[in-house]
Amino acid sequence: MDLIIGGAYQGKSEYAKRLYGLDEAGIFTCREDGAIDFSARCIDALEEYTFWCVRNGVDPVESFRAREDEWRESVLICADIFCGVVPLGAENRAWREATGRLCAYLAGRADTVTRMFCGLPQRLK
Amino acid sequence: MTVFISGGCKNGKSALAQRAAVRLGGGGPLYYVATMIPYDGEDRARIARHIAGRAGMGFETLELARDIGRCLELADPGGTFLVDSVTALLLNEMYPDSHNGDADPDALTRCVDGLLRVAKCAGNAVFVSDYIYSDSIRYDAFTEKYRADLAGIDRALARVCDTVLEMCAGHFIVHKGAWEE
Repeated sequence: MDLIIGGAYQGKSEYAKRLYGLDEAGIFTCREDGAIDFSARCIDALEEYTFWCVRNGVDPVESFRAREDEWRESVLICADIFCGVVPLGAENRAWREATGRLCAYLAGRADTVTRMFCGLPQRLK
Repeated sequence: MTVFISGGCKNGKSALAQRAAVRLGGGGPLYYVATMIPYDGEDRARIARHIAGRAGMGFETLELARDIGRCLELADPGGTFLVDSVTALLLNEMYPDSHNGDADPDALTRCVDGLLRVAKCAGNAVFVSDYIYSDSIRYDAFTEKYRADLAGIDRALARVCDTVLEMCAGHFIVHKGAWEE
């Protein structure tokens, strides 16, 4: 599994498309409905999945751990949402926490971790 | 040579950019292209700090809140231009009327065209932006549009510039090219 992280609009999915030769059909983009289609090579916007998790009492690390067989060969993309001040709202705090724990777990399992900065990849692992 | 610098706020981006511009300038004409329009005492104090910080470094200040490509006509295009900052430039182009009303839909294109012209035509250029993409706030549509457009400018500049640096806690990370101090 390859993990790509980075701030909003830093070119994460564009990089994945370029590197892995994917078109739109090869990328599943998470929304706030909890669904993930692991048959896609690349899963984008994991932060939307974790937002749904927080609202529905699901532990995203446990849910990913339970389905490791399905994403072991995947490209996973998650937004870095960790550099602002502590959010005032409890839900946003929980979202940031859940997303951070999922990223840390996935980074530990990943073969490569790449951070995007202004469209440029920075290899972290 | 062209250098693009971004990173979090209050990390020393402007100071690094000034040192870089002085070095690239090599004694030739040196222009500080100031893009910020002061709206209150806080802004004026910040500008005064910046002016004091670069005193004696040899910069001639050009105040250009919009239409950034004009700096090439207002000065010696073979000189070294420090554009600080891309962030304020985009805001001024989006909201020309004192940051009120609807955002100008052509602001992004104007910014990118002008900045890329500076990058291409200036003797040397250093650009400063702000990395505002890693917090966990779900913004309103106006703010989100501003963030998306600023990131578009950042990516365009990072693509063409020789060197791309990220400032973090007073230290820089080299993302492209080479840089040493």
